[in-house]
Amino acid sequence: MLTLIKREIHDHPLFFIGSVILSTVLIGLSIATLKGHYWIELTAFDSPAGTIVSTILVFVFFGMGAVQMDTDRTRKISAFISILSVSRNRILLAKIIAGLLAILIALVPLAVTVTILLRIHIPPIPVFHVMVLEIFSGTFLITLACYFIGLQAGWNSGRLPPVIIGLILTCILLTLIIIKGFMPEIMIILTLFTVASLIRTWHLFMSTPL
Amino acid sequence: MNDNVIKVENLVKYFDGRCVLDGINFTVPRGCIYGLLGRNGAGKTTIIRILLGLEPVTRGRTFLLDTESPNLSPKVRGRIGCVAEGHNLIQNYKVERLIKLCKDLSLQWNDESFGHLIETFRLPMDRKVRDLSMGMRAQLNLSLAMAIEPELLILDDPTLGLDTVARRQFLELAIEVIQKQDRTILFCSHILSDVERIADRIGILTAGKLVVDCPMEQLKERIKKLRVIFSESVPANLYLTEIINQQIQGREMTITVANWNKQKQAILETFKPSSCTEIPMSLEDIFIECTKPNPQPVEVS
Repeated sequence: MLTLIKREIHDHPLFFIGSVILSTVLIGLSIATLKGHYWIELTAFDSPAGTIVSTILVFVFFGMGAVQMDTDRTRKISAFISILSVSRNRILLAKIIAGLLAILIALVPLAVTVTILLRIHIPPIPVFHVMVLEIFSGTFLITLACYFIGLQAGWNSGRLPPVIIGLILTCILLTLIIIKGFMPEIMIILTLFTVASLIRTWHLFMSTPL
Repeated sequence: MNDNVIKVENLVKYFDGRCVLDGINFTVPRGCIYGLLGRNGAGKTTIIRILLGLEPVTRGRTFLLDTESPNLSPKVRGRIGCVAEGHNLIQNYKVERLIKLCKDLSLQWNDESFGHLIETFRLPMDRKVRDLSMGMRAQLNLSLAMAIEPELLILDDPTLGLDTVARRQFLELAIEVIQKQDRTILFCSHILSDVERIADRIGILTAGKLVVDCPMEQLKERIKKLRVIFSESVPANLYLTEIINQQIQGREMTITVANWNKQKQAILETFKPSSCTEIPMSLEDIFIECTKPNPQPVEVS
């Protein structure tokens, strides 16, 4: 399993470098925003900056999933690996773990920085920390869901409708977050959507000829 | 434990509504070299892909090493070596890296025999796979498949792109592998002389059907090509069944019959031909006769 994960990371170094750069940029933005005490705008995700940040994250990881699968399909990597003593389940799991790792590289340092900055700049009110947790778990879920949709779009590369449907779904999710914020109901919808995307990705990968 | 390493039961495969495989049945016993032949697009690669679990079936079932193809576990896969058509190795990898990946993902790896093969083929470790010639890719693919010491080796047109010397080396290697106990090979190739050299059972696919499935030595016994000359004109109906091909020119008829036996010989003799001579057939001749477009394909088994 470790070999497969290492292979994914080694084959897609740009994803991880991109995640580090993205995380650094977002940390810089957070520092600038929180220093100016505009934290409430950031947490509500209704400021132009918040919208841009979430849009960037969603599309970056949609693209990452699509590229990851498209490369695999065009180079027939899974077809080759599955002839060795590896199951398809493991091949996909390794891809998802690598993607998850890239998402966490982008989000975790940002979450830690924001939490620290809040402690420094904002009075210690517990509700803020709950809000930060909600925002990051919500962002993580939407990013993960879009990554899964990207994986499906990449696996279906060459066929335009799945890619378009994937992009439409991504936009709907994004609009929902922008309008509603990270309310508990939205979090439930996001969780269900992420699980559904994962199941669909799994089914697609397992049932398509390699 | 079943002694058939490969089992195909009533296999049917459709692609976009087109029937590619139509009720294929065959088994490959342990230790056998099975030569699967067929023209381009006959469905040889599709059978291999289905056997390896890369392609779903429309109907029927296939088994490798007693496991149904879609359920092949990594442990069973570890006992199967495969050289795929076109040698679809990971093109952007360096040879060295590809070898390491295969080694890390294999259940067993014989460094000694692999080293010997690499040395024999003189494969450059620092070059990317895409920069290798087709022949070198075939050699690398074969070396990788052999290194895991497979119980079953599936070779889909493995000598494609190899020069004469490399092809000969490859065939000798395949014979060496089969000589080791309990090794089985499924071998697809367009180079019939190669198949004739090493196979001990032959299957010929045509129009989606397996028209021939029998041991090599029986094949030449069962398919007969005869030149029959009659004193008058050729009879309108010879009442012979399983005619693969027949050509009439005046009083002379050239006929290829499957499953030749004494009964058929007796039927032919009732027409009192003035002469009847057998035309010797190589595997290539048999293959050409069996794959000619025929309204009623006959089965030799």
